Amino acid sequence: MTRRPDLTADVSEILLSEEQIQAKVLELGRRISDDFAGRELTLVSVLKGSLPFMADLMRAITISVQIDLMEVSSYGGTATESSGLVRILKDLSSSIDGRHVIIVEDIIDTGLTLNYLVRYLRGKNPASLKICTLLDKPARRLVEIAIDYRGFEIPDQFVIGYGLDYGEAYRNLRFVGVLRPEVYTDPD
Amino acid sequence: MDLDADLDVRPAPAFAHASEAELARILDFYAVAWEYEPHTFPILFDRSGTVIESFSPDFYLPELDLYVELTTLKQRLVRKKNRKLRRLRELYPDIRIKLLYARDFRALLFKYGKLSLADALTGADGQTTPPKVRPPRHTAGTLPAETPPAPAETPPAPAVAGLGPGGRPADDPARRPDHGRRRARRTRAEARARGALQLSAAGEPGGTEVTA
Repeated sequence: MTRRPDLTADVSEILLSEEQIQAKVLELGRRISDDFAGRELTLVSVLKGSLPFMADLMRAITISVQIDLMEVSSYGGTATESSGLVRILKDLSSSIDGRHVIIVEDIIDTGLTLNYLVRYLRGKNPASLKICTLLDKPARRLVEIAIDYRGFEIPDQFVIGYGLDYGEAYRNLRFVGVLRPEVYTDPD
Repeated sequence: MDLDADLDVRPAPAFAHASEAELARILDFYAVAWEYEPHTFPILFDRSGTVIESFSPDFYLPELDLYVELTTLKQRLVRKKNRKLRRLRELYPDIRIKLLYARDFRALLFKYGKLSLADALTGADGQTTPPKVRPPRHTAGTLPAETPPAPAETPPAPAVAGLGPGGRPADDPARRPDHGRRRARRTRAEARARGALQLSAAGEPGGTEVTA
């Protein structure tokens, strides 16, 4: 992406407004609080896209909760291409042995990354492992994964904002919008 | 936990299409076990019960019990594939199979910053086996003397070597590189030889993708 991102003009439509997102986050927070009352809960956020969702969700949860962050390499990244295997770029900083864990994702599409993470985290002996995602794009699913807490099911469109990026831009938008195709399509 | 520990390094199969090799690399990257065309399903029979058409999905993901068929070719061929898939689902309703169209595959490439490879990996450009050559058509009485006669019209070959009894899906050992469902890790040398593995300079588009 060589052009300078335009946070207003590059958005063709607002798919989810800030108000819609916040209402959903509160709802998810309530559900999680009810489901894990009296239990040791850890939220594991997958960098970078889920940061805003994580920040809002943890504050919508009314029980004691720990947080942790993980980052995994993505296919096609030059740093990992030589190995040909996914790599944990940032691992958990605390043990989740015996704790109830919720993976917090911004979006689930193919499910490949999440499938890997689930297997990885199961190996660390959590008491339970659940999945929470703000956005679910089932049209692109390759690996079926049971989602325990789902914010919105969205159509097969390129979405940005509220943590979601294109070329590392647009993450700071307060809503989820659809990126104009001319931004990412090759003019040739 | 080391998810890579039980990876089994073995030679890559002879993929029929560069897109299949790329999908195999993606699956390898995320440690998803796969087998290449391990099963053949008879889908059409003549009146005597002889198999006259069969279907071999490109991939089987044993841990997910899911078949994946990848098609990046023209709409005419997609229609044929769709028909085969419908037939497969009619005859084998318990089978889980996902068809990835060209747009789905392009979306995958876009997601992983490899959209620049789309043309090389899709359509006829991505074929790694030569297309079937049809014998030249001749009208009666014009057959050149030194040209072998064109073969008579025959039903399509079953191509179901190893067909199981009772018309059940065949599990052809010759096409199945690994009888055990061990995790497969493929070398990339084959794809490199095809010039398919060229890293794109495009940025990682995060968790979003698009229909091209």
